Amino acid sequence: MTWWLTLAGRLFIGALFIWAAYSKLRNPWMLFAMAVDSYQMLPIWAVEFVARTLPWAELVLGAMLIFGIWVRWAAVGTSAMLAVFVTGVVRAYAKGLEINCGCFSNNEPLTKFTIVRDATLLAISLAVAVMAFLAHRRARHSS
Amino acid sequence: MKQVRFRLILGLIAGAALVAAAATPPQAHFTPQSLSAAKALGSSSAPIRIDEWADYECPACRNFYQGTVRPMIDNYVSTGKVYFVYHDFPLAMHAYSRDAARWANAAAAAGFFEPVQQALFAKQDDWSATGKIEPVVAAALSPAEMRKVQLIYQQDAAQLDAAVASDLAMGQQRNIDQTPSIFVTARGNTQALPPGGVSYTLMKQYLDYLLAH
Repeated sequence: MTWWLTLAGRLFIGALFIWAAYSKLRNPWMLFAMAVDSYQMLPIWAVEFVARTLPWAELVLGAMLIFGIWVRWAAVGTSAMLAVFVTGVVRAYAKGLEINCGCFSNNEPLTKFTIVRDATLLAISLAVAVMAFLAHRRARHSS
Repeated sequence: MKQVRFRLILGLIAGAALVAAAATPPQAHFTPQSLSAAKALGSSSAPIRIDEWADYECPACRNFYQGTVRPMIDNYVSTGKVYFVYHDFPLAMHAYSRDAARWANAAAAAGFFEPVQQALFAKQDDWSATGKIEPVVAAALSPAEMRKVQLIYQQDAAQLDAAVASDLAMGQQRNIDQTPSIFVTARGNTQALPPGGVSYTLMKQYLDYLLAH
């Protein structure tokens, strides 16, 4: 049962990350940079760095989860990214910033639903990471 | 006697016609479409078109205008690379933004849109607290220019309001609910930028990308 849940979680988070990467990479990076900048969290040089690299990180981590490569560490990576995203959206919402999420496209407004959704994804990703580590430990003890 | 009476009647009729003509305000010589063109900067044949819906009482709109639009006008609009079209989108929460839009449109009809727009954003803090917009507009224009704008503002209020309503309706068709909202069109494709304004650093890079590809 655990194995199936881990697999389902892995594939779900992996596919979501690949979709998120695709939705950003199909447009010029400056558009995603504008969305990042609207959170008013980072200096412009950091905004540009994040905009140029984050979609590729999403793509690589998503592919690792889908193809079962270093699943534990890929899940840790997606969990870390989602933790940062949740922090960012909660902060923006609390500050009353009327901005777009920038999560999947430029046109999705940031609302309470965004917070709930991202927090749920974080929980799933953490569960995948925990189950992957437990499965790895069981495999080591049984071998 | 009959001739004198006839001339008297003719004179009275002519006099009445003159009085009626003086009392009737001249018809407005603009439409929402012509005002839209008057609020546009640059060449309409530029490879990139930027449409902005904004509210003169909105601080983010002011920041976007001063921080991004002004340098963009200097570096991209004046060089024929960008055609910038401003549209009014007065938000209900701002008490004086409709009146500010009316003044700006009156200035546009008289051919003085840019200095008035600049003044409205520069002095936003002042007039948004008091509602005293006319002195801000007057300070941006010469006395003769101000008289022209005042005449239009007073006599063509209905047409000015129709122009603002037209911009508002266009924005609502695009599902705009906040300002500034910016749309960039290049090679037939229109991209909505994140609402709330964009820094000039990123806008510049985006425009350079569009011009290069």
